[in-house]
Amino acid sequence: MNELAQLIEESATRLFEDFSNGNGHELMEAGQFPEKLWADFLADGWLTTLLSEDDGGSGLGLAGGCVLMRLAGYHTVPLPVVESLIAVYLAAKSGVEHTEELLVPVVLSEPINGQSDIALLGVPWARHATSLLVVFPSDNETRVSILSCQDVTITSGQNMAGEPRDDVIFNQDQLNKSQQLHGITIQQIDSWLALSRAAQMTGALQHVLEMTVDFANERSQFGRQIGKFQAVQQQMAVLAEMTSASICAVDAAIDHLETEQEWELIACAKITVGESAGYAAKTAHAVHAAIGFTQEYPLQLSTRRLWSWRDECGNEAQWSAKLGQHCFDLKTDNLWSWLTTQTG
Amino acid sequence: MKKLNFSPVLTGEKEALLRTEVRSFLRDYGSFNVSNIIDSWSICDPELSRALAAKGWLGMTWPTEYGGGGRSYLERYVVIEELLAAGAPVGAHWVADRQSGPLLLRFGTEEQRQYFLPKIIQGECFFAIGMSEPNSGSDLASIKTRAEKVDGGWLINGSKIWTSWAHVCHQMITLCRTAPPSDNRHAGMSQLIVNLDHEGITVRPIITLAGEAHFNEIFFDDVFVPDNRLIGQVNEGWSQVVAELAFERSGPERFLSSYQLLEASIKELREANVTQQAEPIIGQFVARLMVLRQMSLSVANQLQEGKLPINEASVVKDLGTSFEQELPEAMRLILATEPRSTANGGVARLLSDSILKAPSFSLRGGTREILRGIIARGLGLR
Repeated sequence: MNELAQLIEESATRLFEDFSNGNGHELMEAGQFPEKLWADFLADGWLTTLLSEDDGGSGLGLAGGCVLMRLAGYHTVPLPVVESLIAVYLAAKSGVEHTEELLVPVVLSEPINGQSDIALLGVPWARHATSLLVVFPSDNETRVSILSCQDVTITSGQNMAGEPRDDVIFNQDQLNKSQQLHGITIQQIDSWLALSRAAQMTGALQHVLEMTVDFANERSQFGRQIGKFQAVQQQMAVLAEMTSASICAVDAAIDHLETEQEWELIACAKITVGESAGYAAKTAHAVHAAIGFTQEYPLQLSTRRLWSWRDECGNEAQWSAKLGQHCFDLKTDNLWSWLTTQTG
Repeated sequence: MKKLNFSPVLTGEKEALLRTEVRSFLRDYGSFNVSNIIDSWSICDPELSRALAAKGWLGMTWPTEYGGGGRSYLERYVVIEELLAAGAPVGAHWVADRQSGPLLLRFGTEEQRQYFLPKIIQGECFFAIGMSEPNSGSDLASIKTRAEKVDGGWLINGSKIWTSWAHVCHQMITLCRTAPPSDNRHAGMSQLIVNLDHEGITVRPIITLAGEAHFNEIFFDDVFVPDNRLIGQVNEGWSQVVAELAFERSGPERFLSSYQLLEASIKELREANVTQQAEPIIGQFVARLMVLRQMSLSVANQLQEGKLPINEASVVKDLGTSFEQELPEAMRLILATEPRSTANGGVARLLSDSILKAPSFSLRGGTREILRGIIARGLGLR
């Protein structure tokens, strides 16, 4: 994994650094799609990162995908990296032909049972997508249906970082044509999306930490760098602690992919990262003071994402409740034996 | 800025087997000879320590030539986390096994290793930590206890304080000033192994606010220590002490001190059938625990690789002790039970013990503020 991570890191970093020189963020926040960046992203072959080599991909799986997502989070890439990678992966798993058109995932947790409309709030990047990949449960199996975005009603919305989060309405009828998604549950897809978001967040956390350390070492007040003040150092130490805990939590979850404890470790990761996000943003802004509160200064690109992402794909309260319930339901009647099965 | 490293590590078949072995040992051992199980690694039971020694679970990672187990840090990790989670009173041998032995392996002479390590491994020789003094707490470099060079050894005068189990332990690694203070505050200190039975030593107990008698103040009045009891280099004590800290600060004892309360709370709420409101809180603490354990395992693995992850160890200790201190604060609110210091008080007693002992969790082994200072230095701020 480490060698693999390094390979991905080297090539993706070059691309993502180029991205930050352009006007991608302005375009995205103005409601447009950064076509040029997307074309470059496709040209480098990243879209099929998760796919097996048999499916025409790079065979890196979700573990490798998380490395890319982390980097995208670090560089605040204004593209649907998480969404497109997961959607392409699910499409391949259900035997849908792969194209380079933008596909974004939509997860329904309840089975469809009639002809009523389904309204979904905050579907990432829907307005720019060619189609939606809708997954839904049906008779103990998971089904996939591809809906052309021309056939659904989309109302534009955005999260605090200006990323597209659109409201979508379609009719259950439209899901009549569907394929089975073998061996993958709705719960798994939910947790993969949460892990992907958490991976992005660790990138953003690392970037916030680095920017804040650099700033504290450059900015002088009262005749010395503000990083020399203990009051500042103590807060920054906690920022570093929480960042490293978040990275460890996501790495551990990645290591437990495709095991029985997959979702539990992902829950721990999303909870940890969510708790760290608020502290990181608060501390980084406190250290940067007024300059960090401006649009011109890039800190806001990361902190607005952290504030948005911590509530997406389940926030820490939602995942904690689920994990807590699981702990009460444990058949072993013993938390410890459950905790220690996690790592063999 | 040096990046903190917590690469995850997966334990394997060998560790799983060992875990089963420890659990079956604990089942057979029966109940412990103590009235409370919170913070069990600060509770002393020499009989249990000897039973663990008989199983080969003291000095597990040390070379077999000294009677050690020659096993990995991960194997040791499994054993100690099982003991801590079960609330086993492992305090008697804890310091010797965790840091004194490893210190001797790193800096000690061959004679010291051959003399002390087998005794520690057999559960016959317990070590105390001789660092803090009445006027030197967090500012350890300000110690005043002096060791003066005399013919054939050293003459110690001064005092040490907050020394857990000095009245039970046999030896103490004592940090002394061996050269007068200079511009380099960290120079001029040395570590000496002092036999606590020695003439000239007075041990005075200090009772904690929780009513326990494990603390002591120790006075040295012309205590002679022979030359062969100096550890490592004269005046290099500081760097040796710093090396010890990676072992001292990263283990599972830094987040499991109040673990029993978490398990008991889940059981209590489940039996009373009032779980729903508590679910988010329990989930949050379990997630923290899970991640702390991963971080601590990662440090153990780095120690195995011969690294000295001192900054990472500080992170584990700061986050870990926050966890074990915040746990009773959260559990009291979901249990809605008044804490009771009465014997056999069940979860109310565990609450009481956790709350009363919690202040010490973040003081021993380097305070929160000291740890954060170390981490800030690693970030390049100091």
